[in-house]
Amino acid sequence: MRRRGALQRLIRGAALLAAASLPYGMARLMVPEAKAQSRNHIRPPGALKDDAAFIAACIGCGLCGEVCPPRCIRFHGRDGGEKVNTPWINPEEKGCTLCNKCMEVCPTEALVETPLKEIDMGIAQIDRAACYPWVDRGICGACVSVCPLGDQAIGFEMWNQYRPIIKSGCVGCGLCVEVCPEPSLPIWVVDRMQGSVAKHSV
Amino acid sequence: MGTHKPFFLWRHLNKLRWLSLSIVFAMLVALPFIHVYQTYAAAHAYDLLAPSEKQLYDVMETLTAAFADDPAEDLDAIKGNTWSGSFFGLQLSDPLAVAGQMAAGLKAYAPFLLTALIPVLFTLVLGRFFCGWICPATFLYELNTNVSTWLARLGFKVGNRRFDRRLKYAVLGVGLALSAATGSVLMAAIYPPAIVGRELYYAIALGGFGAGAVFFVGTLLFDTLVARRGFCRYLCPGGALYALLGRYRLVRIRRIVESCNDCARCNAVCEFGLDPLRDHFGQECNNCAACIAVCPTQAMTFVLRPTDYPEQGPGHLGKQYRRNHPESAAKGGH
Repeated sequence: MRRRGALQRLIRGAALLAAASLPYGMARLMVPEAKAQSRNHIRPPGALKDDAAFIAACIGCGLCGEVCPPRCIRFHGRDGGEKVNTPWINPEEKGCTLCNKCMEVCPTEALVETPLKEIDMGIAQIDRAACYPWVDRGICGACVSVCPLGDQAIGFEMWNQYRPIIKSGCVGCGLCVEVCPEPSLPIWVVDRMQGSVAKHSV
Repeated sequence: MGTHKPFFLWRHLNKLRWLSLSIVFAMLVALPFIHVYQTYAAAHAYDLLAPSEKQLYDVMETLTAAFADDPAEDLDAIKGNTWSGSFFGLQLSDPLAVAGQMAAGLKAYAPFLLTALIPVLFTLVLGRFFCGWICPATFLYELNTNVSTWLARLGFKVGNRRFDRRLKYAVLGVGLALSAATGSVLMAAIYPPAIVGRELYYAIALGGFGAGAVFFVGTLLFDTLVARRGFCRYLCPGGALYALLGRYRLVRIRRIVESCNDCARCNAVCEFGLDPLRDHFGQECNNCAACIAVCPTQAMTFVLRPTDYPEQGPGHLGKQYRRNHPESAAKGGH
């Protein structure tokens, strides 16, 4: 008799747990994980470097996007999986202007206020086989003239005054990617670990 | 019968509540438009805008010109939604957001913890008032209840099942445990006010709904087809947290048994399916004042005390009480 009561309680508890986790399961089913290309899904400035920690810290309130003056911050939707409702920036559409507003408004530690030079969203890379000046198909310099950090982040190569090179001061805001006129986008933002910077310049 | 009448304004609180709900919802619709306008203004790009964008710019400029000299900066005063927002420099967050974030990261971040302080203090005094007075999803759910009532009158079958109300505490507990296990704030994806605030922003400012819209429509269908206000009553983890915090709230609704006539309209109108007629409010009551507004004999009022009145029996104007107490009819009171 006692044992049957215990079994019944166990079954009832299991049913309760199943019913209680149903909404979470349904919400998760609606956001299948899709592998996002890292070059057009970079985190906003000041984001925690460890993406798992960032996902744990971000509550998905959307405040960072709502204060962004160029409206460059977007949010993972049905492609998000674990990352659903967390912010990303696609520099191919719009780059970050490093205005600091998202870091100031974020209520959690997901985006922490960072001095301009210590921001680390990645580092820009240039494909020298496609960039117009690098293949001698004209003069451009759009990326160099738009860079908010100027000389410490991007400059011209020593022997040809129109060939852009990335320097170590680049914080990966992606404005250069946004303005690049070459359709194949020979400039993009990669993780700082994978990036390389020019050793010699003007 | 020497009974005291409730303060006359309590009857009209329900209208004030609808005003509050409407303002919150209207703000959640307006803020994305304001943000789009701000981005245009910040870029000084009026001449480059498409005709429809120019129209939006002009409308928003007319609406906000009185409040902001420099729209790109001044209109940042109010941002966000009820999940987390900044209000004239004051950061406010839903207690559920804080609880979920603490569970997901397994640590407490003090500045974020403090943003929930004011909501928690209000909840300790007023109980689950967020659910009735502020929640943008409540606005839609209550309208949905009205639609369901009309549908029922037209002959459609509307769900009115009852489940165990304690299920939502299990949802809260499971949510916290799963958040800790997966390392992400899972409640954000199923908590209707967070979904509504977020999805309105996505739809208006970013050009399309995100992942939550479908889930929210699902909850609306659940409310219509399965259980009236079913999500709030049985599943909402935020409602569960608010109910727990407001268990010993000071401001309560109380039935004045002397002027009650047992008509049970309070029970019919109660969105959370409580039993005001038998003095069963409990921690679930959200002080929405709908029962006060609907009471024909003004037998509902607010009291300041940390626990409910014990059961007071049938109302003194009702048939049952008069049958049991013939002397009350003889006195000719009513």
